[in-house]
Amino acid sequence: MMDSGFDRRDFLKVMGWSGAAVALSGCGNTSIEDGKETVVSYVEAADYVIPGIGVYYNSSCAQCDAGCSINGRVREGRVLKLEGNPASAINRGKMCGLGQAGVQHHYNPDRLREPLLRNGDKGETITWEKAYALIAEKLKGVSGEEIAFLSGGVSGHLKVLLGNYLASFGCKNHFVYEALAPGVVRAANKKAYGAEMPRYNINKAKVVLSFGADFIGAWVSPVHFSQQYAQFRKGVDGQRGVLIQVEPKMTLTGANADRWIPVRPGTEGILALGIINALGTATGDIAAAVKGYDKARVSKETGVPPGQIDKIAAILKLRSPSLVLAGGAAEGYAHGSQNAAAINLLNHVLGNVGKTVEAAAAVPFPQMVPAKGNTAALKSLNDGLAAGKYKVLFNYAANPVFTAPGALKFKDNLSKAGFKVAFAHYLDETALQADLVLPLNSALEDWGTQVPEYMAEGAQINILQPLMENLHPNTRGMGDILLALLKQRRPEEYKNYEDYYAYLRAAMLQNKVALGGNGKDDDSFWNETLTKGIIKLAGTTTALSGKAGVAGLKLPAPTENDEQYPLQLIPSVNISLRDGRHSNQPWLQESPDPLTTIVWDSWVEIHPKKAAELGIVEGDIVEVTSRTGSIKTQAYLFPGIHPDAISIPLGQGHEALGRYAKGYGVNPFQILDAVFDRETGELAMYETRVKVNKTGQRVIVVKDESAAGAKQIREKIAGRVSSDNVDLSKEV
Amino acid sequence: MSVSNLLENWSQFRHYHPVDDKPHDPYKWAMSIDLDACVGCNACSVACYAENNLPVVGKEKYAHGMSMHWMRIEHYWDEDVGEEGGREFPDQGAQFLPMMCQQCEAAPCETVCPVGATNHTADGLNSQIYNRCVGSRYCEANCPYKVRYFNWYDYPTTDNVWPAEMTQQLNPDVTVRGKGVMEKCTFCVQRLSAAKVTAKSEGRIVHDGEVQTACQQVCPVGAISFGNLIDPQSRVHKQWRAQQVELDKDRQAKDEKEGGTNLRGYRILENMRPYPSVMYLERVRESAI
Repeated sequence: MMDSGFDRRDFLKVMGWSGAAVALSGCGNTSIEDGKETVVSYVEAADYVIPGIGVYYNSSCAQCDAGCSINGRVREGRVLKLEGNPASAINRGKMCGLGQAGVQHHYNPDRLREPLLRNGDKGETITWEKAYALIAEKLKGVSGEEIAFLSGGVSGHLKVLLGNYLASFGCKNHFVYEALAPGVVRAANKKAYGAEMPRYNINKAKVVLSFGADFIGAWVSPVHFSQQYAQFRKGVDGQRGVLIQVEPKMTLTGANADRWIPVRPGTEGILALGIINALGTATGDIAAAVKGYDKARVSKETGVPPGQIDKIAAILKLRSPSLVLAGGAAEGYAHGSQNAAAINLLNHVLGNVGKTVEAAAAVPFPQMVPAKGNTAALKSLNDGLAAGKYKVLFNYAANPVFTAPGALKFKDNLSKAGFKVAFAHYLDETALQADLVLPLNSALEDWGTQVPEYMAEGAQINILQPLMENLHPNTRGMGDILLALLKQRRPEEYKNYEDYYAYLRAAMLQNKVALGGNGKDDDSFWNETLTKGIIKLAGTTTALSGKAGVAGLKLPAPTENDEQYPLQLIPSVNISLRDGRHSNQPWLQESPDPLTTIVWDSWVEIHPKKAAELGIVEGDIVEVTSRTGSIKTQAYLFPGIHPDAISIPLGQGHEALGRYAKGYGVNPFQILDAVFDRETGELAMYETRVKVNKTGQRVIVVKDESAAGAKQIREKIAGRVSSDNVDLSKEV
Repeated sequence: MSVSNLLENWSQFRHYHPVDDKPHDPYKWAMSIDLDACVGCNACSVACYAENNLPVVGKEKYAHGMSMHWMRIEHYWDEDVGEEGGREFPDQGAQFLPMMCQQCEAAPCETVCPVGATNHTADGLNSQIYNRCVGSRYCEANCPYKVRYFNWYDYPTTDNVWPAEMTQQLNPDVTVRGKGVMEKCTFCVQRLSAAKVTAKSEGRIVHDGEVQTACQQVCPVGAISFGNLIDPQSRVHKQWRAQQVELDKDRQAKDEKEGGTNLRGYRILENMRPYPSVMYLERVRESAI
């Protein structure tokens, strides 16, 4: 990008000068036209600002934790659009809708701009100096055990700084909470393969049998998996890949399957054992363990016809290698670990381990790998809060008041914490409960490093760099805040770092050789790193060590019919809104749900057969009641769901956050029962049972599909052919 | 160009394919979309919002059919799902289809515009001239694909669609449309123009892959290819040829054979003879499972 001696930071400082002024001249209705701004001449434009020409800078997407690399288009000092960075092995130049909306997070009108201190019901603007002093004061005389830090998944240097900060007062209470991370599957993978997240080679598989893993939509690293999926469809050795999806509620991946199998909720593991039985290739312990799972029994318990089980077994036998995935719909039960173990066992039996399930590379810096955690961590924090254990609570990148299962009563317990500090982008539900709220930079104006949990090829460290000057003068990066707080605790150690940028640069240069900068001088290594936005490393690979074992594998019989609460609630993950942290980005609200085309609202998916039984039609406002609580929303008749289940998408139902989120839809997290996986203690998301009652009100469902529903009338619009007729490998 | 000049010399301006004396040269922009790859994830649609300054209209206006998504994902179930005697579940999944302006060669929208605001460009686009449009909406009524979107409100000002700093995200290369104007997918004409100017200044034509539409660029599964149909080196040209789809025909090789062929390329509503510039490739489903 540049010769040495030129610093990108100076560039941005300069850009701020001309950028801020000329930035406004590009679009139709700005204050410039009203004559309120001074127009700065282009004659003295800053370096690398070419009027009318977009300049591209690499950075990393922070909309989810998949770790895609982005390429931001910057024109006249403002970032306009994000593209994928083709050099990244994870996303290879591609992006998802959620990632695209990153600019709407950055320019969001509801972003926090000033530090706020609680004064009764109101937040009073204070200075950063005062805020830091206040934190120091509140921490005085408080022991490490009385402090808790709750965060979402953090990685890279931010995690290192956070660890150092907590260590500075001997605090071990770092709770990592990601509401939708695959906690149970990670634990089951660790047992089965010796790695929490092995590399899944979808592109090398001839058959993918997925038990509720929505790898195209919202699971782990969807953009990466989508690309692998496209290769898989083109075929290995000329044979088009076959996707079979087993799940009680159709996900986006299910909608793209060759065969979607609506299994009775919770019996995924039984079906997996039934398939092993039908394969008839297992020996020893495994054969003994699956002996009882004959077709008749499995079919009766899972609701999958015997002929279908035969067909699955036949195609798996015929086409190898295959790949079996355990995802959200399999892990969300009290016996979720057992389900996942049974499914992973299938991979062993089919001989896929080492072929389509491979060891992933890890970065050689263990302190930078992502901190992981789910609801089990939140529960233990919740217990501590309920017992009044914590005098100071920090919260970063998590919104537990919104995402905690209702049965935990997290909001009530939160009030028992002495002093609550929230680092936040928006005044979300959790920030509203805090005593001190500190406004953060957006990911597009912040420095940082990121280590993705799911590594594609080799290992990589992603670089985040500002794509423009701070939009609001008084927001700070989380790294800068932690550094300032650390300077309070250990001034000697950190006094040399003026800011997080200086820390980051020094930390990276210290490890220059390990980061592939051998023989380069500091400046050129650093500039090259920023230009590329990614540091690719060979990484360390530990061979998969797990064995096919059936010890401890025990699947319970399907649950008996519950008279009072006859239906199973499936809280589904919408591909754009996920756990709800991005619901205030209007593009995502107006991006129709792929399967129902509903926008700006929540809905209850009910199978038409069940709906007819209950006398429900589309648009009926129904009350969904669980043991924990009840919510009311519109009904949508959806054939892609098991008749004994209903589904409500997560992410809506905000009471705060901002103008595009507040008041739209309902929040199913609120009615989730506190049922946990027996082995890992993670939330069993699918174990809440509900009943559905009509309220008598009816609305018109706001959706993109026509009133006729999703049917092609007369003329075929979307065509489909059988695989017998085409050979994709010969196509252009 | 005055309106009277336009009306008098209409046949010159209304330049549709096939015309022997005026073939598209050197460009004819076209697209092909592989429905077997498309997963219906909506990334293309969001990218289009980002690139083309599309307003988010909100729930109430969406309910009134005022959404402005130039690129939308249509989703269909099989006919017999949920019907009497049909299947209980959509066990072969759903069908997804990205739908946007098909840039028809004989566009039904063009002939009905009373002011000539929409017409055909020499490089084969169906263009929309915002400052000529008077908002009669005849074109919208006449579009068989329903891909024209009308500005019922002045979204930037009175409707406050881009409050506060949100205006800074607007793409300066694309007009922000005002009230009473029709708009639609342009095949990212701003990107095409830039690429053409660059190529012209270097005395060559635009290479295949040099310019991408926003939807194509973002697509995680690479379902969309876009390029110059005239260029024999372009992927689009090769795909159309391999599928034996011809721009100026209303029946293709695929339709001629009873019982199907091994071709999967088709164009939507071809029998109405709009001669669309977008070819779709049929979705494939495994017969063995």
